Amino acid sequence: MTQPLIQHVCQILYDSPIGTAIRESDNAFSVIESVHVLSITLLVGTIAILDLRMLGLILREIRVSRIARAVLPLTWAGFLFMLTSGFLLFWAEAAKNYLNPAFRVKMVLLLLVGLNPLIFHTTVYRRVTQWEIDHRSPWRARAAACASLLLWGGVIVAGRAIAYF
Amino acid sequence: MQTSQWAFAVTEMVHLLALAALGGSVLFLDLRLLGITLRNESASVISRDLSRILLVSLAVMILSGIGLLSEEAMKCFYSPAFRWKMALLVTAVTFYFTIHRKTALRASTTTASLSQRAVAVISLLLWLGVGVAGRAIGLI
Repeated sequence: MTQPLIQHVCQILYDSPIGTAIRESDNAFSVIESVHVLSITLLVGTIAILDLRMLGLILREIRVSRIARAVLPLTWAGFLFMLTSGFLLFWAEAAKNYLNPAFRVKMVLLLLVGLNPLIFHTTVYRRVTQWEIDHRSPWRARAAACASLLLWGGVIVAGRAIAYF
Repeated sequence: MQTSQWAFAVTEMVHLLALAALGGSVLFLDLRLLGITLRNESASVISRDLSRILLVSLAVMILSGIGLLSEEAMKCFYSPAFRWKMALLVTAVTFYFTIHRKTALRASTTTASLSQRAVAVISLLLWLGVGVAGRAIGLI
C-alpha cells in the first residue's frame, strides 16, 4: 500500500456505492448541503447566545445556567444534524477532501472547538452557581466564550473555503 | 468583484457567518414566544437583547448580500429564486418590525397564547423561506 492509511480509507468511501450515488445524483449533494447550512444556524447561532451572555453583552439579567439549559439541547440537535449531513457530504467527496487544505484546516478547528467545552465544563462551569448571576462571567468563562465564537467562526469560514480549492 | 478570485468567496463567508447569528437569534426568540425555552423569563427582555444581534447580523447580511449581488446582478434579476428571496425578505423584515415586535413586548411569562404562537411560527417560516430561496439562487 503506497497511500497513507487515512487516504486509503477516504478512497474506499469515495468509491463506495453510497458515496458515488450522492456525488452523481442531480440534487442529493445540494439538498444535503442546505441541511448542513441550516444546522450551522442551529448550532453556532444558539451557542453564540450563551457565549455572548457570558461576555456580558446580552441577557445579563438571566442566570448563565438557565441560558445554558435552554440553549444546549438546540446546540446538540444542531450538532447531530451537522455531523450527519457533514459526513454524507464527506462520503461523496472523501478522496478530494483528503487533499483539500481548507478541509484539513476545518478538521483541526473542529478538534479544537470540541476540546473547548470539554475544558470549560470540567473546570469553571463546575462552579457556575457561584457566578451565574454576575452580569459578566469570570475571565476563564469569557476566554472560553471568545474561543468558541472564534473557532466556530473559523469552522464556517474554512468549511466555505472547501469549495474553492 | 467579477475579476477577483477571493472577493466573492470572502463576502460569501461573511454572509454565512452573519446567517448563523441571525438564524440563531430568530430561532431562540421564536422558541421563547412558543413557550419552549426560558418560559419564566420576560419575552420583552429577551426580544430587546436578541434584537441587537438580529439587527447587527441583518445589516451585515444585507451589506454582504449587496456585495454578492454586484457580481451577478444580471443573473439574479432573471432568477426566480432571487425574486422569491427578496419578496420573502421584505415580508420577514416588515413582519418583524411590526407584529412580531409588538407581540414580544406584550407576551406574558406564564402561558403562550395562540396568537403569540402563530406569530412565532409565521416568523420562523418566513426566515426559513428567505434562507431556502437564497440557497436556491445558486442552484436554479
